[in-house]
Amino acid sequence: MRALALFAAEAEPQVHLTSQTRIVAAVIAIFFMLLILDLIRRDRLQERYSVIWFVAGLGMLAGAAFPGLLELVADAMGVRNTNVALFSIVLLLLLGLALNFSVIMSRQAAQITRLAQERAIERAGRQANGGTPNGDGSGSEQSLEPEKEGL
Amino acid sequence: MRTLVFIPAWNEEASIAEVIGDVRTYLPEADILVVDDGSVDATAARAREAGALVASLPFNQGLGAALQTGYLYALRNAYDACAHLDADGQHPAEEVVRLLAEVTADRADLVIGSRYHSGAVAESGDYRASFSRRIGISVFRFFLTLATRQRFTDTTSGMRAANRRVMDLFSRHYSPDFAEIESLQLAVRQGLRVEELPVRMLERAGGTSFLTPVRSAFFIFKGLVVLLVGQFRPREAEAKQ
Repeated sequence: MRALALFAAEAEPQVHLTSQTRIVAAVIAIFFMLLILDLIRRDRLQERYSVIWFVAGLGMLAGAAFPGLLELVADAMGVRNTNVALFSIVLLLLLGLALNFSVIMSRQAAQITRLAQERAIERAGRQANGGTPNGDGSGSEQSLEPEKEGL
Repeated sequence: MRTLVFIPAWNEEASIAEVIGDVRTYLPEADILVVDDGSVDATAARAREAGALVASLPFNQGLGAALQTGYLYALRNAYDACAHLDADGQHPAEEVVRLLAEVTADRADLVIGSRYHSGAVAESGDYRASFSRRIGISVFRFFLTLATRQRFTDTTSGMRAANRRVMDLFSRHYSPDFAEIESLQLAVRQGLRVEELPVRMLERAGGTSFLTPVRSAFFIFKGLVVLLVGQFRPREAEAKQ
């Protein structure tokens, strides 16, 4: 009985992606990458932060074009349903992206703090040297240019 | 011997002038710098009137960033020793003199003024911690002692004196979130001589403590995470050798 049940489970067909799913995924991936290109073109997104999104878009396209790839991954994960594998991969990807942003955010927070400290020290230094400190301490002077690095 | 006394201040216009005057009385030779942490009141103006130098941060950055600003200023302007105390009038400048003496005598790199050290004499009007605060204090005391293998009684003291070695370290690394505890751990880990000295402290002149039970619990939890992570930070001295 037990062996028979196992055999039945083995014989149960894998759940594949339908052609419709594949077409929808491909269209979304293409639109997604076009959107990223447009954001870069209009200076709304810096190149160095766009690479990871492009990789995500290409991965999506590859998955739609070659469903065998996804099934290979699903097999490796021990997941019978390819859709579940797809969701898991996307979830992991998003987790990685969110962590990446936290790292970037921490770095920028540290940079902002140092910038503020340098400015405060400079003004105190001017006061120490007998000059009058610029402004009244309300910190409403000129804005700072965002740092721009090479492409 | 050039000494800098700096005072981190956030909206302390009521007490700042008095604190500056107090420091000047007991430390007439020292330069006084008020680190104005994005105050929206007249703290900076009052401090300038009182004759102190003022380093104004353009927006509120938290105590850690404010203290680091002071250490950075001391380092850049070649001070031999520096000390800091709170702006709310809790710390008598008289006691800062004793902390600085330990540093200038080169008995320690970093000296912390402790409220709870057994040697501290309790007088009427002196500092007494509330119950929920005392729990937090003993938890931190236990774990910091465990982490550093050195006995600390007052882990959150805002009254300290330091030499150039400490200025150099703290101007590079200073946690913005958990300034006091993590910096102690860091200093001990980097092989600096950290010493506690019993000091007399006064009741807060005005305002209430920000700690509610829930916030205390969160504060303690956060502190423990910070301490744990700190144990895995690389030691600089080892890396250099």
